[in-house]
Amino acid sequence: MKHFKETLYDSLYQEFRIDKLYFESRTDHQHLMIFHNARLGRVMTLDGIVQTTEADEFIYHEMMSHVPLLAHGQVRHVLIIGGGDGAMLREVLHHPVAQVTQVEIDQAVIEMARQYLPNHSAGAYDDPRLQLIIADGMNFVRDTDDRFDVIICDSTDPIGPGEVLFSEDFYAQAKRCLAPGGILVTQNGVPFLQPDELNTTAQRMGPHFIDSSFYCAPVPTYYGGHMAFGWGTDNRTLRHVELPVLQARFEKSGLQTRYYNPAIHQAAFALPQYMLESLAGRD
Amino acid sequence: MGSGRRIMIGAAPDEADVWQALVAEHGTPLLVFDPAVLERQYHRLSNALPGVELHYAVKAHPNEHIVRTLDALGCGFDVASAGEMDLLMDLKISGRRTIHTHPIKKDREIRDALRFGATTFVVDNLDELAKLVPYRERIGILLRISFRSESATVDLSRKFGCAIGEVAGIVAAAGKLGLHIKGLSFHAGSQCEHAGQHVEAIARCRQLMVDIGKSTSVPLSTLDIGGGFPADYRLTGIDIDAWCGPLRKALADLPGDWHLLAEPGRYLVAPSVTSITTVTGKSERHGVTWYYLDDGIYGSYSGQIFDHTVYPLQILKTGETRRSILAGPTCDSIDIIAEDVQLPELGIGDLVIGHQMGAYTAATKTRFNSLPDARLVCRESPS
Ligand SMILES: Cc1ncc(COP(=O)(O)O)c(C=O)c1O
Repeated sequence: MKHFKETLYDSLYQEFRIDKLYFESRTDHQHLMIFHNARLGRVMTLDGIVQTTEADEFIYHEMMSHVPLLAHGQVRHVLIIGGGDGAMLREVLHHPVAQVTQVEIDQAVIEMARQYLPNHSAGAYDDPRLQLIIADGMNFVRDTDDRFDVIICDSTDPIGPGEVLFSEDFYAQAKRCLAPGGILVTQNGVPFLQPDELNTTAQRMGPHFIDSSFYCAPVPTYYGGHMAFGWGTDNRTLRHVELPVLQARFEKSGLQTRYYNPAIHQAAFALPQYMLESLAGRD
Repeated sequence: MGSGRRIMIGAAPDEADVWQALVAEHGTPLLVFDPAVLERQYHRLSNALPGVELHYAVKAHPNEHIVRTLDALGCGFDVASAGEMDLLMDLKISGRRTIHTHPIKKDREIRDALRFGATTFVVDNLDELAKLVPYRERIGILLRISFRSESATVDLSRKFGCAIGEVAGIVAAAGKLGLHIKGLSFHAGSQCEHAGQHVEAIARCRQLMVDIGKSTSVPLSTLDIGGGFPADYRLTGIDIDAWCGPLRKALADLPGDWHLLAEPGRYLVAPSVTSITTVTGKSERHGVTWYYLDDGIYGSYSGQIFDHTVYPLQILKTGETRRSILAGPTCDSIDIIAEDVQLPELGIGDLVIGHQMGAYTAATKTRFNSLPDARLVCRESPS
């Protein structure tokens, strides 16, 4: 195959030229590819859907890590569920956290990403603050006694291996694992083309948090406009942290970013009207 | 299919050598696949149906060599089960060119299809439509209509397909559920002698699609004309271009921006596979010579039962003929390939060749008597 044609939608699709195929595996009803595209750098796809590309992964990973960590302000212990490519870990470790627990279901994904997507983890897997656990994320949140200030659910799409990470039970168990004032953020698809996914998450997550909402960022290769991130916490103020406070935290952190900045952080919580209407129409 | 089985006695020496050499190398029972023949069939059908995207009905013969050959030609695929999708996935074929055409599905099957990358589904009733609601953001739906062909050997419109009168109601119901019906499909039957039923079905679908298009905001614009393209079991030289003539005419009446699909199985693969079986025993009973072969009705010749087809047979020897029976290897008395045929006397080890045996043959074989399967070997294409 010389082109990758995404199979997410029937009536439209994006197509990437495969300039060099680095890796392809087809195991357990799962089809994984890593290839090079002249414009996007290395691209990873799973079951016909783009997972991450070197060119635009920074938007996704910065927004899923820096937004909850800087909104919280005193994060010591972070849980990452999924995220086997290592880029979420890389971003989280830029913060002065005491410990990061990462729960990935498949050791092979980590090995494969370290070999073929080395810029994603950029050495993060060697950091002594990492506790890496190979386990099912759902089982982990059900069983663990640890408590986390931030939980980042870096899942695949709801049809496939990441299915349970979109269940109401998962949101309930994740909530149980949050320290007081902790925040859960989740990957929630592209609402312009996937409004059902937004509404379903709102319904399932809503009952478990005092404040549950979404924030957005456009990730070009998650075709279809803004991507939504789920946001759940019992501290209502965290969604409205003042700009000077964010600014001070950001400067103190010394983070080098390409998408995130405090103004973007604040603005990301403003949802486009079509999303608000979709959410309002759900009951 | 009627009676008319073709039996050919004798073979050109170089032809016989080819079969003998294959048997020397691989033994029997054997199925010999010739990719060049499949390529020829694909090109003939594509040329006879310009503008129609062909999707090979994998059920006709779910074999990796066949699928690979068609994939290399740019052919799409019609799958009806998770197992058929597994075959394509094992060959790393993208689901983008695949449609899922089974009208009745479990939820698991829908999810597997989406993970594989097939986003087109077929339904023929409201219950089935409801199953697709959770996936409505990702999929396109074809509504299957029942049209029976008088001339088809195999009727495919009894078990599946809604009545014409139900179409508007189902399309409206789908709209209310937020589901996108993008067009209609039908299956006129398999092994159709002529395209008369296809032509009529196309005209009816056109009318329905145009009428419904007027009253809804989402136009129906895909028409899937199914399969039914015949194989040449009597070796009379079917001219597929002529067979498709009326069909082309009917398709030319459709709006130019409609998407046209077909799901050919039989026409593509039937002539590309040849069966070779060996006489393993014989006996003289009531004035008839019985030959016992190492393949039969429970194996490669299962299509004589399930597909109502008789295949042209060839004996390599010539000589004075006598009343003979060709029987398969199982203990069952139904396992007879050909009754009361005139054949020259065969010896143990002689070969019986079955032609046009690519479609619905190995696909329906059984494990009865735990006999070994006929192996399929691929002839090298003379490139
Ligand atoms: C839905 C569907 N499509 C396509 C085919 C293939 O038909 P044919 O082999 O006649 O081309 C069949 C045959 O059973 C079928 O059921």
